[in-house]
Amino acid sequence: MTSNTTFIDPTVLSSLDNLELRARVVVEGFVSGLHKSPHRGFSVEFTDYRHYYRGDDMRHVDWKLYARSDKFYIKQYEDETNVRCYVVLDSSASMGYASGAMSKLEYGRTLASALAYFIMRQRDAVGLITFDEKVNEYIPALCRQPHLIRILRVLAGLSAGARTDVVRPLSDLASNLNRKSMVILISDMLEDEEQIIKTLQRLRSMGNDVIVFHVLDDAELHFRFQEATEFIDAETRESFITQPQSIRDAYLENLGKYLEFCKKQCQSSGVDYCLLNTSQPLDTALYSYISRRARSF
Amino acid sequence: MSFLSPLFLFGLLAAALPIAIHLIRKETPPKMVFGTLRFLKNTSKKLILFQQIQQWLLLLLRAAVISLLVFAFARPLFDGAIASLVDAAPESSVILLDVSMSMRYGERSEQARAAAQDLLAGMSAGDEVAIVAFGGSALQVRELSTDLDGARAFLDGLPEPGYDVTRYMPALRLANDLLESARHEARTVHLISDFQASGMGNDDSGWVMSAGVRLNPVDVGEGPTRNLLLTDVRSPDQLIENQSEYEILARVRSTGSVHVDQAEVRLLLDGVETARMPVNLTDLSEEVVRLPAVFDTAGTHRGEIRVGTDDFAIDNSYFFTVDVMAKVRVLMVNGEPSPNWYEDEAHWLGLAIGGTAESPFVLTRSTPRELDAALLAQHDVVVLLNAGSDLNSTQAGALNDFVRAGGSMLLAPGDRVAAGPFNLLFSAISPAALDQPVRLAAGDYLLIADIDQRHPVLLPLGTDWGVRFEGYWAATAAADADVLMQFDNGSPALLERAVGQGRVLLFASALDTEWNNLPLQGLYLPFAHESLRYLAQATEKERAYRVGDVIDLTTAVAEDATLTITDVAGVSTQLLAGDRLLTATTAGFMNIDDGDSVQFYAVNPDPQESALARIAPSALQDAVTNPETEPVQSEDVRTAQLIAEIEGPQRAWWWLLLLVMLMLLAETRVANTTYR
Repeated sequence: MTSNTTFIDPTVLSSLDNLELRARVVVEGFVSGLHKSPHRGFSVEFTDYRHYYRGDDMRHVDWKLYARSDKFYIKQYEDETNVRCYVVLDSSASMGYASGAMSKLEYGRTLASALAYFIMRQRDAVGLITFDEKVNEYIPALCRQPHLIRILRVLAGLSAGARTDVVRPLSDLASNLNRKSMVILISDMLEDEEQIIKTLQRLRSMGNDVIVFHVLDDAELHFRFQEATEFIDAETRESFITQPQSIRDAYLENLGKYLEFCKKQCQSSGVDYCLLNTSQPLDTALYSYISRRARSF
Repeated sequence: MSFLSPLFLFGLLAAALPIAIHLIRKETPPKMVFGTLRFLKNTSKKLILFQQIQQWLLLLLRAAVISLLVFAFARPLFDGAIASLVDAAPESSVILLDVSMSMRYGERSEQARAAAQDLLAGMSAGDEVAIVAFGGSALQVRELSTDLDGARAFLDGLPEPGYDVTRYMPALRLANDLLESARHEARTVHLISDFQASGMGNDDSGWVMSAGVRLNPVDVGEGPTRNLLLTDVRSPDQLIENQSEYEILARVRSTGSVHVDQAEVRLLLDGVETARMPVNLTDLSEEVVRLPAVFDTAGTHRGEIRVGTDDFAIDNSYFFTVDVMAKVRVLMVNGEPSPNWYEDEAHWLGLAIGGTAESPFVLTRSTPRELDAALLAQHDVVVLLNAGSDLNSTQAGALNDFVRAGGSMLLAPGDRVAAGPFNLLFSAISPAALDQPVRLAAGDYLLIADIDQRHPVLLPLGTDWGVRFEGYWAATAAADADVLMQFDNGSPALLERAVGQGRVLLFASALDTEWNNLPLQGLYLPFAHESLRYLAQATEKERAYRVGDVIDLTTAVAEDATLTITDVAGVSTQLLAGDRLLTATTAGFMNIDDGDSVQFYAVNPDPQESALARIAPSALQDAVTNPETEPVQSEDVRTAQLIAEIEGPQRAWWWLLLLVMLMLLAETRVANTTYR
């Protein structure tokens, strides 16, 4: 696996303009690594046979087994679980911050496309919701190749918008979900985290699986600024002049409390929480998805 | 502290450079759009405060570094080190310390002693110094010595200023004399004084100090002064007991540099306040205050006039005494009773001195035959009218004893007196020997031509004597007699002779109208009164003395008594028999106890010391400095010269330091602009 990390390193990925290609690089690199991983054999393989019943799709009959046993058996695949995934991507202004090669939005967009590609590859249905202070795009969950193209196109045209309101799109989504789904939130969650968690808990209580990819920039996580700087809030445009060195410890302490809160609240609610650093490869996120997928279905 | 390169202190302005750079530079920090400020704004305010403190601390440190560099450039030197260099040449000096009364104003005395100690502290081993504490003259002297510790001890042991007046010249002359034997070439007189103008006295001798002797005036009298002075007080000297109300005049003047315009004057008699009057000097430089007083009992009354509060309390009181005698007992011995009253001397004199109940005299008439020692002992004054030659030797001896014991006698010999017996009997006490009676021709007369106007008898009478003398006694004055009046032919008319403790007056004419018309003149009564009053006065005591006056107690007390003198502070001294001269040293009342009685003497400070007007020290310096003496260089000038000598040859160093400083400033600038 480590040998493939170069293909999914954000610095490398950022040089790829084509989002589909980028998603493919991520997923293929990831999947190829899986053969050597302890997670091998999950999901994409067929799991069992069953007797043929009238009305079954003849394309799923295992003709080789029929030749050997003269009986009709139908292959059962994972996609038969018919999972619907919604990737909910935050495209607010704060997501536009980047201290390195990729902004949080870019990182999230790549992650979303990779997940969509990966989910579709697993024959699961995938949908997309992008939002800032309102829902900008809503693509329902489907499992068809053209659908992936649509998702990727939307993601490609995404740009950082206005202020964040995570609660509203999630609440809308929760209202519209009429069957058990997987909701994947990709956001920096720089809003009222308590409200966000409550909304996630609501989704979770409705029987949905919820994964939170908490995307933060490396600079936001480590705050390694040296010179006096006027920091401007990406969403409120509020400014604050300070000497970062002198307040770094306090900043990290505040950030740590915030992250700890998010993590604990998610864990206690059954929400998978995954903190992502935009300077780190995306495979962490994919592992989290696979892990969750395995446990749920 | 001094500086070798004081111009560098201007470099302190550079300490403002870091601040200026901070203010001018004040670059806008780079802006950065950040995800959120929520974790920044929640940082502790203490951290922000600490951050600001750090910044200010850094700024202060930079300013302090520059300031210290500037000080280093200026090269500070401690005064002690400079002084030791400046005063490297040994010196002989005399410290003249003014301990006159005016030095008791404010803290002048303490300042003067401190200045003297400073001078001693500035001297080096090998220097020799003399100390002279002076007032009107040198009071205490320590001769030239290199023992500086001894000089300090001497200075510490000097008494506080007393009541002495200030006289600069005697002290300067003494200092100059002391320096004649000095071992060092550098010679200085340090005059520590308040430079009172009166200290110059009336010296116009043009005396200057020896060549090479410098005068260093140390002025401790600067600053405003407030003082009220009783410049003059007029009170009766000696009174004869009566009920009259007298006026005591007090002249009040503001003598300080700050005019005091309101005050109050109080009169205290025998310690009890009897009168109080306001003084308004708003429009006047001085005012005369009239204070009523009654002396209705015999004895010595102690008077004190106090003027209101000012900053120089020592001269706020004027002390005086008033001796009130009981009525004078006069024994009038008439040697020529006459049936014609106008030719009877006793008639005229009796009218003059015994006419009214308010008369200060108690008159007893007697004949020559009745005269004896017992009768004399009951009287203060004996008047012999046309009598004398008919007395016997016993009576003459009694008169002699009476006079010598303090009694007094007025002789008015007339035509009945024979010159021979008179001279024989009274040669020991009479002011003159009678030669012969002279009767002028009809129409001829003599006038009084010469009068001793200062004599107490004649002083109040003036000089306008229009009395015509047709007869008189030609007399020859005794060697120890004083002629108080003369006729216009040069013959004595009134003579006085002191005998023992008594006095004798001889009027060389008659006190009736037989030889002159004096009884018909307005002068007759005052002449008689003043003569008898004068004769009745037992002593020559004055109403008030000044500090420094010598009081002659010869006539005041018994010759063989030991006197105990107690001053106002309660300090007692004794004056043995035979020693009757007393010098007044403190202001106030002195009690003189001879064992039988106590007499009071009033002593006041010299008003000259209360005049606080000053002279410029430089004026005195110019007046007494020898033209051949090099000008005095102040310590500052000498220090500047020394600094120039030290600094000159090594001027290059500070260019290097200047470069370092500029580099440091550049470093500050660069450090502030470099991205970190």
